[in-house]
Amino acid sequence: MSGRTLHLVGLSHHSAPLEVRERLALSGEALRDALVELRATSGVDEALVVSTCNRVEVLVYGEGEGAARAFFTARAPDAAAHLYAREGTQAVRHLFRVAASLDSMVVGEQQILGQVKEAYGLASGAGAAGPYLSRLCNRAFAAAKRVRTETEVGRGITSLSQVAVELVEKIFGTLTGRAILLLGAGKMGALSAKALAALGADRVLVANRSAERGLALAEAVGGVFRDFAELPHLLTEADVVIVSTGAPAFVVTREMVGVAMKARRRRSLCLIDLSVPRNVDPACGELADVYGYDVDDLERVVSATHEARQGEAGRAEAIVQVEVDAFEREREARAALPVLAQLRRHAEQIALAEAERTLAHLGGALDDRGRKSVEAMARAIVNKLLHGPTARLKAAASSGDTALPGAAAQLFGIEGEAREPAQPRVEDKPPGAAEGGESREDGVRLKA
Amino acid sequence: MSLVLVRIATALYAVAAVLYVAFFSRPRHLRLASAGFWALLVGFAVHAGAIGAGCAAHGGREFFTLRGGVVLAAWLGAGAYLVLARLYRMPSVGAFVTPLLLVVLTPTLFGESDAPAVPAEVVRHSAFHVTAAVLAVALFGIACGVSLMYLLQEREVKGKRFGALFSRLPSLDALDQLNQRLVRVGFVAFTVALVLGTVNAVALWKTAWSWDPQVVSSVGIWLLYGAMVQLRHTGWHGRRYALLTVTGFVVLVGAMLTLRVVPGATRHSGSYGTVVQAEGTE
Repeated sequence: MSGRTLHLVGLSHHSAPLEVRERLALSGEALRDALVELRATSGVDEALVVSTCNRVEVLVYGEGEGAARAFFTARAPDAAAHLYAREGTQAVRHLFRVAASLDSMVVGEQQILGQVKEAYGLASGAGAAGPYLSRLCNRAFAAAKRVRTETEVGRGITSLSQVAVELVEKIFGTLTGRAILLLGAGKMGALSAKALAALGADRVLVANRSAERGLALAEAVGGVFRDFAELPHLLTEADVVIVSTGAPAFVVTREMVGVAMKARRRRSLCLIDLSVPRNVDPACGELADVYGYDVDDLERVVSATHEARQGEAGRAEAIVQVEVDAFEREREARAALPVLAQLRRHAEQIALAEAERTLAHLGGALDDRGRKSVEAMARAIVNKLLHGPTARLKAAASSGDTALPGAAAQLFGIEGEAREPAQPRVEDKPPGAAEGGESREDGVRLKA
Repeated sequence: MSLVLVRIATALYAVAAVLYVAFFSRPRHLRLASAGFWALLVGFAVHAGAIGAGCAAHGGREFFTLRGGVVLAAWLGAGAYLVLARLYRMPSVGAFVTPLLLVVLTPTLFGESDAPAVPAEVVRHSAFHVTAAVLAVALFGIACGVSLMYLLQEREVKGKRFGALFSRLPSLDALDQLNQRLVRVGFVAFTVALVLGTVNAVALWKTAWSWDPQVVSSVGIWLLYGAMVQLRHTGWHGRRYALLTVTGFVVLVGAMLTLRVVPGATRHSGSYGTVVQAEGTE
């Protein structure tokens, strides 16, 4: 493809390790400067930079990908090996897939669309995004929205702490008036406790063998530190227990829970064991009103989500393809519009010139009304004659047919540039073979 | 009561049931649930018309038959659910209650409506007694439905089956709370029915207690539900409570059907007052 088109050069989690990605990631002022710099490069009409922790991609609308490639090589010379490049329809499709979260590390995650929107906002704020990118991005956002609402790609749970939240919600509804106990200082445990505290728990209790780490953790999750030795009592106080200690054996035993359940007057108890090896005896879950889960149970939900999303990805890809096709068709239709405008201008000029000639012949024989009727008739003839060709040209252009606009330009002897019609006389039209030679080039240029 | 109106009401309940079940399978379309609510509301209004017409034509004697009782129970149940739907945001319950209404109402749609020769005195005395008793049955019925939902959800949660049912059914706590409240209100209605029944018995049969099987079984059921209300305070909840609710309702329906189907088993059907009044005058 020659001429102006969309070029995309970038690297992502598919192609480059984190060390490379983190060196190239840009934000705020630096990103703005980069956009301004890109835009100032010759041959670049419009530019957009999508920079997230998983990808850095530069899109330029212009005459080559050189500027986009230079963006990377200037910042990290070793990035060249990790770059991929797309152009034209392939680049359009890539952006659509990125926005629809089909190219994400976790397919269907919802953040990427916001990040692309932000990138577009920055680019248009910096004056780097023009009409082409505006249309492109809006279409990409619309495609992403369709994918989100029409497929299940964005559904399901993708993290362990989310699974824990979901489980607790299905057992207790909300956690208002209830307490969470965080046992041990594991990272997953802290994350889950934070997510659960957001369900409205009254208290978060933290127990850890090392008081120092326990206190720090309690502060981090907004909880109260309690002595590990109090565990049997804590089991009567808390309704949700998250266990992630590094202990090699069961810390919470069936017997301990059995005693606690009596003291709790059988209020439900949810035990979530995030430790490997397990710290909660799986037999606890056999007790009435006790709901016990381990890492495997939670992982199963996450991997089921991934499977379901993979299954839905095919449908999402189909939607993206439809949207890409529609975008490209519209672009081509827009390319056909100049031919139409010129054709009309050409015809109207002829008609008006002929009307004027007729009126001059008649001299003062006609009053104002008569003169207006003659002009109106000339215009009406043009409209009637052009009605069919206009409709067909529009239809051809929107179905992606670029041959017909070219042929029309050639047939009617329309020049690419708007200039005075060579001869306003109708008789001059048929022997336009010489003009036809010229306008063939125009036809080709219009197609490009 | 007008069978035509009952049929129309049942058709509207069927529409509501279809909408609620569709909502259950497509939980993202909340509009289905609200459309179901409106269909149910209109059905309830038509149903009210049928019952009003029945009262106008036969002075309420129809509701002393099994068929009439079922029609009344379904109406009160639909009304109770409409109130619940406003109080709690649990549209998925509708997918369980509305089909239940259909199952209960369908057998009443066939055959001729009969108005038994219940003595006018019995009808006059018993209007509130019957209504309270039928309301209690309707509430226990809904509680039974909610308990079944609880048992289903408990199986999913405890069995670590995080599938479609798991995500669509309400939380265990919400179902448990709802069940408990229904049982409580139903118990109050049942108590009122028993008290009014005793008053009636004194007035009509000149004795507060008789070993009539209906009276005996009613007291038994009252004790069972009373025990459930009491057990709640000692911490009974969840699965055991749900099982108890289902058991209670099965016993209740079993007793009711048996007593109605066996002729002459109880003074609560058939001749009512004639025997009684003869006894009373002796």
